[in-house]
Amino acid sequence: MTPTTVSRADLAPQLKALIERGGRLALLTAADDGQSRLALAALVLSPDGQAAGQLRPALWRTPLDDDTLPPLTRLVPQAHWAKRALYDFFGLRPADQARPNPLLLHEAWPAHLHPLRPTPCDGAAETGEATRYRFLEVGGEGVYEIPVGPIHAGIIEPGHFRFSCHGEVIQHLEIRLGYQHRGLEEQLARTPWRQAHHVVSTISSDTAAGNALAHALAVESLLDIEPPPAAVALRAALLECERVACHLGDLIGYCADTGFAAGATAFSLLRPRAQILSEWLCGSRYQAHAIVPGGLARPLPGDQREGAEHCVTQLIDGFERAEPLLLDNSGALERMAGTGVVPRPIADEIGLVGPAGRAAGLDYDVRSALSQPPYADLGWQPARGGDGDVLARCTVRCAEIRASLTLLRRLLAQHNPDAPTRVDLPDRLPADRWACGLVEAWRGELVHLVLTGDQGQILRYAVKDPSFNNWTGLAVAARGEVVSDFPLCNKSFGLSYSGNDL
Amino acid sequence: MINTLLGLLHTKRHTTSDMLPDLADHALTLATVSDQPCAAADGCRACLDACPTSAVTVLPEANSDPTVTVDRGRCLACRACTDGCPTSTLVADRNTRVAVRTRAELLHSNRPLDRPTPAAPRRRPFARSLHIREVSTGDNAADMEIQAACNPIYDCFRFGLHFVASPRHADALLVTGPVGRAMAEPLRRCHAAMAEPRLVIALGCAAISGGIHAGGYAEANGVDAVLPVDVYVPGGPPHPWMILHGLFLAMGHPLGDDRSDPQITQITQMS
Repeated sequence: MTPTTVSRADLAPQLKALIERGGRLALLTAADDGQSRLALAALVLSPDGQAAGQLRPALWRTPLDDDTLPPLTRLVPQAHWAKRALYDFFGLRPADQARPNPLLLHEAWPAHLHPLRPTPCDGAAETGEATRYRFLEVGGEGVYEIPVGPIHAGIIEPGHFRFSCHGEVIQHLEIRLGYQHRGLEEQLARTPWRQAHHVVSTISSDTAAGNALAHALAVESLLDIEPPPAAVALRAALLECERVACHLGDLIGYCADTGFAAGATAFSLLRPRAQILSEWLCGSRYQAHAIVPGGLARPLPGDQREGAEHCVTQLIDGFERAEPLLLDNSGALERMAGTGVVPRPIADEIGLVGPAGRAAGLDYDVRSALSQPPYADLGWQPARGGDGDVLARCTVRCAEIRASLTLLRRLLAQHNPDAPTRVDLPDRLPADRWACGLVEAWRGELVHLVLTGDQGQILRYAVKDPSFNNWTGLAVAARGEVVSDFPLCNKSFGLSYSGNDL
Repeated sequence: MINTLLGLLHTKRHTTSDMLPDLADHALTLATVSDQPCAAADGCRACLDACPTSAVTVLPEANSDPTVTVDRGRCLACRACTDGCPTSTLVADRNTRVAVRTRAELLHSNRPLDRPTPAAPRRRPFARSLHIREVSTGDNAADMEIQAACNPIYDCFRFGLHFVASPRHADALLVTGPVGRAMAEPLRRCHAAMAEPRLVIALGCAAISGGIHAGGYAEANGVDAVLPVDVYVPGGPPHPWMILHGLFLAMGHPLGDDRSDPQITQITQMS
């Protein structure tokens, strides 16, 4: 990908115009690309003139003269978390804000640390002072706060939720994450690129297939190679298997959080079947260590394919019986309908992705918008439609499970165990090149962006988990709901904390 | 309502009567070392190049085959070394009884290792039940395997294993993920809030050693760096059976012994 230079003043207006034309801001970050001190890099998806709903990735580069960011969020509200992350990792400050709130690197981290910055900040005194974080305070009589986390009561990842409530009703929810920050982007820039697929599968270890596929697509695009067709099909099978397993896991949560134990049991008997399917497909119950640049780590022998096909049949039958338990249950429906609504205009504004976006009426699905193989040949349509509430997210995910199982059956039926599943890769990556990999992971649009240096080494590796867009959706959905409905709203989004924290 | 009841009727008993069986042939498993001689003297370094976490070490010996050691506390169970080993010195270990009490026991070698064998604790305060507070710090697949251990198939509750919401109610702190800088203090506070006697269990490669994250600026180097650990459960992530084995070991349950007789299964299930 060759970057187009966009001036500092034009960046926000051009992004706004792009989004209004049906385009997207997929990822916004910074990099030292050797031409100036730091440059902003925006990976955008612009509408294809010919085909409706089709998008093409492009890269915009905005050179920066100093450590201030151009104004962004007034015109492009969805960039607000990206802007705060630019401060955490690069020390870039919004021009109009003296003390920005950190996003991921807060009190536990020294204030002067900006780990992805090649040179120290101007005037950064190494005082050893901790970063400060200010929560938004909601005023008014009777308003009180409920702080929750970082450690939660269940078997779930850590994060802090600060509810400002009036009576039982949530007036405002501030979500502060970053507790699981492991320095992955910095690590990916120093890991030998041939081993990087092991690292990406830990970004959010429940999305190992999605991240490994995004990584493989990015590296293959850098090298300008195509994996064999059999590998393309099996990689899609792994991605769909991950979607089925994770959606089934969250359906257990929908049932548990509406107090519907019989449904929870039904889905918790199905989810292990999807993990056994994954084990047949690649040996791992989490699709890990399977997808590599150039194809697949191991071929799929005929006997394993038979085991997988048997699992898919069992899953299709089992889901047909289990789904109506939840969707025909008036008690569960009453809890879900009209709860946790993200209205369509707000979904557009914050750039909601994945099932949550489609449940709010957006069309965007990476698989169809980028006409990715093998989906185009399989006669498949993304599930969409709904009122943006918990019920809509639930029905979209149920529809996705059914669609993915049908896809899996077709992909496995046409698999030839003797076909090659891997091509050899050259020893080094091409120098001074940008490339991206986009995947519709089970939570939505997942983006990997790579920049190589003059020796073909990786200079910058940026990752955007779908949750990075959608956490704001959860904060919107929780407003005006009673506190006791928050777990259900949270589960309906099913977001990743670790993918967001990197 | 009728449909729900019919659905319940249709659901038969699913809880498995197996106990800690081996993993499937095609599963990705931890690596171990066999007695087959290693070809390092002929210039082979397949495992050293393949391992993403440098878990394998090969030491040349003057008068015999090289000493090959794999640190299962750093093994991601990716099978890169065992698939690529031309001499089958490194082999896949399908055993699910993999939990241990000391970090040194996670080293597997083709030479006897100079390490003390830990004696079984004399007191077993949690022999009948163990109440567990789980804290996740960056490995959500391991969290999902813990949830899987609670599903109707593995049904950990039948062994007196319970997951509790507060550290005040807990006997054991079960940690997944590599414990980066921002989780160290919350984890310490959670541990401090638990009454004694209390145990700490590190679950999964990341929790044991930081795994693939170790050595970075985020200081994500595993639970050991923050709290003393009583039980290690290796794996990337550990299979629900491996998790149950670790919890049995923490309880002092006979099934936690890796030499236990399968016959015991019958007895303990009845008790």
